[in-house]
Amino acid sequence: MSHREHVEELLDAIRRSKLNAFITVDYEGARQQAEEADAGELDGRLAGIPIAIKDAISTKGLRTTCASKMLEHYVPPYDAFVVKKLREEGAVIIGKTNMDEFSMGTSTETSFFGPCKNPWDLERVPGGSSGGSAAAVAAQEADLALGSDTGGSIRCPASFCGVVGLKPTYGRVSRNGLVSYGNSMEQIGPIARTVEACAGLFEVIAGYDPWDNTSRDAPVSHYVAKLRDEIAGLEVGVPQDFFGEGVDPVVENATWEAIAVLESLGVHAKETSMPNLKYALSAYYIQAMSEASSNLARYSGIIYGHRVQKDHDWHTTFSENRASGFGKEVKRRILLGTYALSAGYYDKYYLKARKARALISRDFQRVFKQFDALIAPTMPYAAFKIGEKIEDPLSLYKVDINTVPINLANVPSLSVPCGRKGRLPIGMQIIGDQFNEQLLFNIAFQFEQNTNNKHAV
Amino acid sequence: MITKTDVEQIARLACIDLDEEDMQAFTVQFNAILEYFEELEDIEAELTEQEEHNVLRADEVTPSLTQQDALANAPRVENGYFRGPRIL
Repeated sequence: MSHREHVEELLDAIRRSKLNAFITVDYEGARQQAEEADAGELDGRLAGIPIAIKDAISTKGLRTTCASKMLEHYVPPYDAFVVKKLREEGAVIIGKTNMDEFSMGTSTETSFFGPCKNPWDLERVPGGSSGGSAAAVAAQEADLALGSDTGGSIRCPASFCGVVGLKPTYGRVSRNGLVSYGNSMEQIGPIARTVEACAGLFEVIAGYDPWDNTSRDAPVSHYVAKLRDEIAGLEVGVPQDFFGEGVDPVVENATWEAIAVLESLGVHAKETSMPNLKYALSAYYIQAMSEASSNLARYSGIIYGHRVQKDHDWHTTFSENRASGFGKEVKRRILLGTYALSAGYYDKYYLKARKARALISRDFQRVFKQFDALIAPTMPYAAFKIGEKIEDPLSLYKVDINTVPINLANVPSLSVPCGRKGRLPIGMQIIGDQFNEQLLFNIAFQFEQNTNNKHAV
Repeated sequence: MITKTDVEQIARLACIDLDEEDMQAFTVQFNAILEYFEELEDIEAELTEQEEHNVLRADEVTPSLTQQDALANAPRVENGYFRGPRIL
């Protein structure tokens, strides 16, 4: 099949889809890039491969909304670093995927463009915030996708949709061109149907970028070439803190069965504990909300974005633009962040969150002296119903209990499918020390080769 | 315990107009969330150096957006400038 025929197949699937996985589809651009690939004009590691991009990542000339009314008509004048990398490697950018507004959510229900649905059960959420990216890959509406993960936003939808997704080490992938939410914790990462494809996409986007001053100039491994490296003899820790109250026994069993598979491949597994993880949820939300209140201060409706037509003084104009441009969850987080940073409350909330983050990081440093990697359930349960949690913000925040510690500690984590509850996929996360993504891919690859978890609907 | 008046004050600081309905709902939700956050109260830890690693690039002039590109997304433009709201 030619690249053009393959792209046409995907565009047809998207047109017929009930998922609402895409906010913007670039029909013309995708066809043209596929034709260039067929004519041999594109070369590179991703030549002709159709890829979907989370709508929080800037694409030159292609609308980038962050699923917000605030940016409904925003067309970036430049490409994000990762998008430049994709173009250099010949990828076909098929469209921009649905997400929680400004990446704030765990279910892709807060999108201004309507909720995205889970391809395994249309009444359930795909997870979030990169729900459109994971749903599109699972439903074969794209071959690969990029998401971003601030507190689980790649791993949660990867787990709920039954695909592979990586949250890289903080600083491993440039954030240049990623719309900021919780900038000290977020990373762009790959989503794919197989571990090998995930590693291949990661190899393209990883690397130093002088335009992101938190980017790290560390060597990038040949993730695909080294994918088959031996895993026998590795020491893997299983922290009991990821199996707390609220974890579905079906998920717990699936994780232990996966660990048994790894043991049969020569990996040594041992239980361990990380006592400070109990602070992770509060530490994450206080820090993310505080950063959001600062990062989203730029949306005043003057330089770009939504602006009401009435002519008032500046405070009234800004306040009306922001009131009508932002959705409820975004307002909630900006206000709580403003409160947490305000005089008199800084010590009580923000500073305590910073201290909790340091303690959590030290827990990870300690266990990585003993273990090569950690294994845990990605999510406490399988995908929940659309509308089930959205009215109670705190109950929705608690869904992130197992994913947020990883972002606080700046370490990488790869979510891979490891079982099912009925039709619904279950994922486990393989967590590594900073810049040790190679090992995560190797473990996940051997696991995938020795199990039979179907990755596509 | 935070009150509706507190929420109104925070909203003014954050430049977001809240309607009555949101103000009511947020007051209840904020109290539940802030009560949850109180679990951090007992934490004592010395913070060492920043965990974030900042790499500074050289301060060199390089090509940047053209004026046309920079203005392309502005809701109101006048004579090559962004047009803001009036001050008074």
